[in-house]
Amino acid sequence: MIEFKGVSKTYPGMDTPVVRDLSFTIEDGEICVLVGPSGCGKTTSMRMINRLIEPTEGEILIDGQDNTSMSGTQLRRKIGYAIQQTGLFPHRTIADNIGTVPGLLGWDKARISSRADELLDLVGLPPDQYRDRYPAELSGGQQQRVGVARALAADPPVMLMDEPFGAVDPITRDRLQNEFLHIQENIKKTIVFVTHDIDEGIKMGNKIAILKEGGILAQYDTPENILVNPASEFVQSFVGGDRVLKRLSLTRVGDVDLEPANGHGDALPRINAEWTLRDALSEIIGAGADRGLVVTDGESNGGPRGAITLDSIRKISHGARAPRG
Amino acid sequence: MDRILDVFQRADFISDLIIHIELSVLATLFGLLIALPVAILVNRSDFGSTLAINIGNIGRAVPSICILVLMLPIVGLGFDNALIALTLLAISPILINAVVGLRQVSAQIVDAAKGMGLSGRQILSGIQLPIAAPIIFAGIRTSAVQVVASATLATFIGGGGLGNYIVEGFQRGDLYISMAGALTVAVLAIITEVGFGTLQRTFTPKGLRLAQARARTK
Amino acid sequence: MDSADDPPTSILAFLFQAEFASEEQQQKGFIDWEWLGENFTEDVVPALLQHIFLCAVSLAIALAISLPLGILAARYRGLYGPLTAITGFFYTIPSFAMFVFLLAIGFSVGVTPAIITLVLYSLLILIRNVVTGLDSVPPETKDAARGMGLTDRQILWRVEIPLALPVIVAGMRIAVVTVIGIAVIASYIGGGGLGNLIFSGITRNFPTLYVTGAVLATLLAISADLLFVRTERFLSPWTRARGAR
Repeated sequence: MIEFKGVSKTYPGMDTPVVRDLSFTIEDGEICVLVGPSGCGKTTSMRMINRLIEPTEGEILIDGQDNTSMSGTQLRRKIGYAIQQTGLFPHRTIADNIGTVPGLLGWDKARISSRADELLDLVGLPPDQYRDRYPAELSGGQQQRVGVARALAADPPVMLMDEPFGAVDPITRDRLQNEFLHIQENIKKTIVFVTHDIDEGIKMGNKIAILKEGGILAQYDTPENILVNPASEFVQSFVGGDRVLKRLSLTRVGDVDLEPANGHGDALPRINAEWTLRDALSEIIGAGADRGLVVTDGESNGGPRGAITLDSIRKISHGARAPRG
Repeated sequence: MDRILDVFQRADFISDLIIHIELSVLATLFGLLIALPVAILVNRSDFGSTLAINIGNIGRAVPSICILVLMLPIVGLGFDNALIALTLLAISPILINAVVGLRQVSAQIVDAAKGMGLSGRQILSGIQLPIAAPIIFAGIRTSAVQVVASATLATFIGGGGLGNYIVEGFQRGDLYISMAGALTVAVLAIITEVGFGTLQRTFTPKGLRLAQARARTK
Repeated sequence: MDSADDPPTSILAFLFQAEFASEEQQQKGFIDWEWLGENFTEDVVPALLQHIFLCAVSLAIALAISLPLGILAARYRGLYGPLTAITGFFYTIPSFAMFVFLLAIGFSVGVTPAIITLVLYSLLILIRNVVTGLDSVPPETKDAARGMGLTDRQILWRVEIPLALPVIVAGMRIAVVTVIGIAVIASYIGGGGLGNLIFSGITRNFPTLYVTGAVLATLLAISADLLFVRTERFLSPWTRARGAR
């Protein structure tokens, strides 16, 4: 658990604080996304957790303990750190890179080596091929994977990630995000994730903290609640004019109650059960129909599971209100 | 040709050769021992780094013979004094390259290292210096070659070395004596250049060589 | 090799006959200002002007050679390796030794071997920087120029060289400073210049003379360096902090 208590940061010589009186709590095992426009203090806030930056006021508690109760160096060895440009050490092999923190903590060589292999497997890079290579030999996407593996090496309970997938193309980024979410399902770390992209935030976060310029917390809530009940006009405009549609992308077709498929059959568009409601909506409207036939992969000729109607989609969207002033 | 070989067989030739090598090795070594710590010290401060580079640049511009000569009123003649002057000469290339080399280590790499929990000293010795090593080595190499060449001029302030033969040849009107000195010092310089070049390649970590190669093809 | 025993060297021998009496009391920093004031225009200024002239001529020749060679080497990459190796070889040889070799080949003492040496030493740096400078021109820029209908020659003179200029000037800076230094030594073999003051000052044990010579040479080198740094920065306002190369 990470608690921010009245944390502020003002740089000497500046009038306005970069982060102002930030207070919120991140629960164990959750991904908390810090998101906001440039200058909102999201990266600064993250870096105050591992004390790369020290707050001017307030305190940060990790599992109930003040994060100043040990030296910065010791603290950082317990927190995973992955940054946008990866910062892989070019003069060391991939395996050595991953083994950096375990080495600092005094693990023996055999243990470090097997841990590196384990992590390479986890991030989808076959150890036999990659452990002895050098960063310069890897593509951008591969480097980012190594960056994540390196952050996970000492199995820290907490991880800080600053736009870790930012430096690659959108297709690779999408894949990396999915794989990371999959990994998190198993390892359940407490993760603080900084991004400027609200869509990434909605996709990755269990909770989202939207920060305004000046480091003011605009809303801290689940993605669903932020989309349905934006706390202010700022939040509403930040999440984008298509927030209702964004919300639809949080739910999969297979998870909602379906109408019986009444044998309209061939005329209807096929909707895969794995798709989001948003994609289903898009497909149905495009086909000019009022409903779609929900099928599971590979069973398009077998019995469909049901139908999803525009009406039901509309009802699901209905809860999304505009902010009250 | 035989006349040149005759010179080589003179008793004092070997001793002058040794003096020349001594001057060169010691001056480069001392230069390194002074320049590298300074470069490490100023690494933290932007102002210090820029100042060091500026001083280095000015130092590099001063002709080597002028350093030798201007030291005369201060330290006089002799081996020790030539050594002092040559050491001053040796500092500049190493200083410039060390400061720039350390500076060029990308800020993200240092940030990642710090964020992972490496201490300042670990970052310096494990990350910054190894990555800057090729550039620093290039500076040592430049310095060494320059010192070997300038040690030839040590003869003018009584420092000894192979320059003695070049000057003696002129004084006696016998070019062969000069040739003996000139050939030897030329060979010495080439050996130094090539030797350090090989050392440099050996000391460049494989990962860095790959990164350099990649940057070239971009 | 027999021409090496010729008369000119005996003149030199006479001029530079020197016994270093090392126990002699060095008058610390004692400059005879009177002498300096009297003989400034007679002895010092000509040496300074000679020196500048020598360096300027050598540099001009070196540039005239390296520019075309560099352009060629940038086009035909196979040329660059051997070119660098050869000029690099000359660069490594100590200048004092180089003078001896030139005399041995048959040049007589004087300005000629001096200029030859100065040119040879500048070649490596200048060629390397011409090539590096031309390399640094983005291919897209050249492509756009070609697309607009410029001929190869026009591209070279209107696009590539102007863009490569900062790097070339950086090379000239190093070359100038190097050449000023070597020219001092060239005086020893009759090249003239500030070295004359230094060497005869040492011979006659007259600190005023050699200190003046050394100080002037140093000032000349430093001012040239600063001048070129200014020029570099003027040509490319986006230049980062100075250093390396």
